[in-house]
Amino acid sequence: MTSSSTRSINATAVAGLSLWVGVMVFISHWMGEQAHRWLPVQASTAAPLVDDLFSFETAIGTFVFLGVVSVMVWVMLFNRAEKYDDTDAFPIEGNTRLEVIWTAIPFVLVMGIAFWTIRASEQLGTLGPMEHIHLRNSVEEVGGYPGDRLPAEQVEVIARQWSWEFRYPGSNVSSTELHLAVNEPVTFRLVSEDVLHGFYIPAFRVKQDVIPGRAIDFNVTPTREGVYRLRDSQFSGTWFAANQSDVVVESAEEHQAWLEQAARSPLQPGLSLAISEYATRQARSNPGWATVPPAHPPQVNVPGSPSQPHQA
Amino acid sequence: MTIATFPPEPKPEQGWGRYFGFCTDAKVIGIQYIVTAFFFFLIGGLLAMVIRGELITPQSDLVDRAVYNGIYTMHGTIMLFLFTFPVLNGLNNLLIPTMIGAPDMAFPRLNAVAFWLVPIFGFLLIASFFVPGGPAYSGWWSYPPVSIQNPAGNLINGQGMWITAVALSGVSSIMGAINFVTTILRMRAPGMTFFRMPVFCWTALAAQSLQLIGLPALTGGAIMLLMDLTFGTSFYRAEGGGDPVLYQHFFWFYSHPAVYVIILPVFGIFSELFPVYSRKPLFGYVYVALASFIIVGLGLIVWVHHMFPSGVAQWMRNLFMVTTMLIAVPTGVKVFAWLGTLWGGKLRLTTPMLFCLGGLFNFVFAGITGIMLATVPVDIHVSNTYFVVGHFHYVIYGAAVMGIFAAIYHWFPKFIGRMPYEGLGKLHFLLTFIGANLNFLPMHPLGLMGMPRRVSSYDPEFTFWNVVASLGAFLLGVSIIPFLLNMLSAWIRGPKATHNPWNAIGLEWLLPSPPPEDNFGEDVPTVISRPYGYGLGKPLVEHQDEIERKLELQEASA
Amino acid sequence: MTTTTLQQPGAPAEHEEQPKHNLTGFIIFLCSESVIFLAFFSGYALLKTSALNWLPQGVDGLEWKTPLVNTIVLVSSSGTIALAEHFKNRENMLLFRGFWLMSMAMGAYFLYGQAVEWSGLQFGFTSGTFGGTFYLLTGFHGLHVATGILLMGLMLIKSFIPGNYSGGEQGVQATSLFWHFVDVIWIILFLLIYVWQ
Repeated sequence: MTSSSTRSINATAVAGLSLWVGVMVFISHWMGEQAHRWLPVQASTAAPLVDDLFSFETAIGTFVFLGVVSVMVWVMLFNRAEKYDDTDAFPIEGNTRLEVIWTAIPFVLVMGIAFWTIRASEQLGTLGPMEHIHLRNSVEEVGGYPGDRLPAEQVEVIARQWSWEFRYPGSNVSSTELHLAVNEPVTFRLVSEDVLHGFYIPAFRVKQDVIPGRAIDFNVTPTREGVYRLRDSQFSGTWFAANQSDVVVESAEEHQAWLEQAARSPLQPGLSLAISEYATRQARSNPGWATVPPAHPPQVNVPGSPSQPHQA
Repeated sequence: MTIATFPPEPKPEQGWGRYFGFCTDAKVIGIQYIVTAFFFFLIGGLLAMVIRGELITPQSDLVDRAVYNGIYTMHGTIMLFLFTFPVLNGLNNLLIPTMIGAPDMAFPRLNAVAFWLVPIFGFLLIASFFVPGGPAYSGWWSYPPVSIQNPAGNLINGQGMWITAVALSGVSSIMGAINFVTTILRMRAPGMTFFRMPVFCWTALAAQSLQLIGLPALTGGAIMLLMDLTFGTSFYRAEGGGDPVLYQHFFWFYSHPAVYVIILPVFGIFSELFPVYSRKPLFGYVYVALASFIIVGLGLIVWVHHMFPSGVAQWMRNLFMVTTMLIAVPTGVKVFAWLGTLWGGKLRLTTPMLFCLGGLFNFVFAGITGIMLATVPVDIHVSNTYFVVGHFHYVIYGAAVMGIFAAIYHWFPKFIGRMPYEGLGKLHFLLTFIGANLNFLPMHPLGLMGMPRRVSSYDPEFTFWNVVASLGAFLLGVSIIPFLLNMLSAWIRGPKATHNPWNAIGLEWLLPSPPPEDNFGEDVPTVISRPYGYGLGKPLVEHQDEIERKLELQEASA
Repeated sequence: MTTTTLQQPGAPAEHEEQPKHNLTGFIIFLCSESVIFLAFFSGYALLKTSALNWLPQGVDGLEWKTPLVNTIVLVSSSGTIALAEHFKNRENMLLFRGFWLMSMAMGAYFLYGQAVEWSGLQFGFTSGTFGGTFYLLTGFHGLHVATGILLMGLMLIKSFIPGNYSGGEQGVQATSLFWHFVDVIWIILFLLIYVWQ
């Protein structure tokens, strides 16, 4: 890196650098495309927004990472001290212009990403105002639905240690399996009876903590039929990992039929893996470290099946 | 409050014994810290092996679920409060006084008390495994209400012991922080202005200021948690009108800056070592130094990004996303400065340099996933999943612990007086680098697919990446063997080190290896130029030639 | 710390020789300690503004007149301790001890008043978040007042050691600093708890 480089060497360097930047751009673009494949199927209106943002960030991130690693590899290959050479290198103490550049570019870059993100968040509008239980607004006031559609359905979600209960007040149905109609906006009212839980459906790309003492309204529009997992995402105690449920997205007709059939079904204990595991555990002579006993499973019309195959 | 004055200490013993007693010499305390930290590192690592053993299959089959929860909680707690903070405080103790030419810390007795609290609360934490009902099981966050459920129903329970231990750790850290900050502010060698101070001291000052601002908030939150758990108050209990989310604010107001408390000194280590091993001055010293304090300022106003799905309003999400993103700018300044330092240098790929390069590699990766996590919609999807676990293990293990290893290999000759072995060191690096990436990279796809963190069982579609991660973890477990072998054998029979084996510039390298108890004693050299003057041919201190000649003579006669 | 040269305040300190590390360390400690109160204050404000039923049943607010008297006593003790420090610097040990003792007495009176108030309340610390935060804030502050009185006692005893001026100087300075800190915290606390109802 001496200053006595000739014009031709400079030209080669510029050409080589441009080529390498081109390669990095190509790889970054390719990684951005790949990023979609690392995510579960897109089953809600939120999913494409999240995925596009993630893909964009992956591309940018790949470019930055490759850039840094290229420099590191270059210096490790070509700027090594010769054996027995213990002299110092040419001292460069800094360069104010460079400092300004590498402060300004990341600043503009992250602010750009932030701007994109805020717009994406606005479009998502999954969240009603954060309300305490006494602040309940009527559904109309919550607002923020994609396409300005009012939700066709309200589902009350009750989280417990360790089961999920879904109530459909309009149809007088309760279930431990969540059934939703495709392309119909739905509002969840999230309530916890004991500790923090996390309402997380990966295929929908949505997650909201369920907080005791608050009712949180939460909007989603499923867009793809299938069976998906609902997972508890905020640690809730011993059977946290087993606190899962299925989300069945079906056509409007099927959904109506399911609601009608469910309303006729007798109440029975809902799905709760914790109950059976707890029973086996307590039967042992030494049950081990202390645990909170599971709450009684809710009495529901439809318990759902624990071994149903799911898509994400 | 007349906490400590310069005590007219009796001549301390020189043998092994001083490492086991109440010694006020910062260099002894530093080694006490580091050795204690690695003792707990082994315990925490063993727990990690159990965690990865459980997660190698989808079912909960290795340990009971309650046991799993206790183990992952203790793994996180031990690694942070009993390994990372103590090991960094050890480095602070060794490096700050010697780098600024002080004879000792400002408050030597306070310093010793701060250290001895570590084994005490360490014992308390380990003892919680053996109380009825088992240890704390609510994660190192200890979010209420889970953390105040007290299933065993005893007054003395794992969670209560956990809170007490963390509070004691806070007391110890505050004592340390007061000491480090006072020492740096008031005990620098003549001529050492702030802008002649090594970057490690800058970053230590920044990190310890964060401790001083952040830790009391956690302590306050923890006091309220303990009262809820033990005395039935309802600060966080919804039934009594409390708010569980309030705790999260207290917790993250400290615990996010805590990440900077960890990573800032590691930035300092990188900034010290890259110039030495590429034989060039640190690129843009002033910017690197000042960036530390910009990180401090921003680091204090980002904590809500841990709570995006916890029930905060959209405007708060946006605000805290922007502040979080801004941290990328000063961090980028540092990363580019290191690259600028390496560029056109004469690199020597010694063990410490390899650890630095590996650490930088991992850190850049972690920084990118960090930006992803800052953007709200992506965070909503991956928060509380293995993506986050992967991200912070890249930061803490991939970058910080690698940097700590680099520092240990680099300054071992100075403070022990013997050289560590290069072959074992390089093997250690290779195993650590491969193991860490094999362990933590697969966590990212797992999180993207939707595998929550803290689970003891998972759906079968997550099996493949979990197996890979577990194998990586076991490799990481093995990687510690060459390190321990290296340290032990080098300490006992390694080749004697000269005063400056790496040909580095810095006050600490103008001391004999190991330095005498009062470092420079009465003849503290006067600093006349900036640090990292590699290739500039300017001496760091007045009469540098004389000092070095004297040291060489001493070494020749020994 | 063997140099026993007495220096007038304001005179340029013979630095390097007589390091004032203790005071530096103590000021850093106080800054850090204030964050814990800040945490409690913000917790109090957050819980209060978001509460449905802030006051427990049967309680309709706190009586503020007696606490106001307490407050005046405590805040004036900041003045007396400053006077004491002033006389100590003038080397008038008699007046120093007098005002110092007076500050201690005022602090003790405050604690006594607090105890009387506590014993007369109809709610405990488990009575919702109001009870919890009230006792937490006043109790934690009271603990600081008690610590301050102990420290002042210690300094008072130390003042009888002949020739302890140089060593004790920072102690007196630090203690009075701590006392001012405790007073400022109380003013904020009084505004938060008694005025903002």
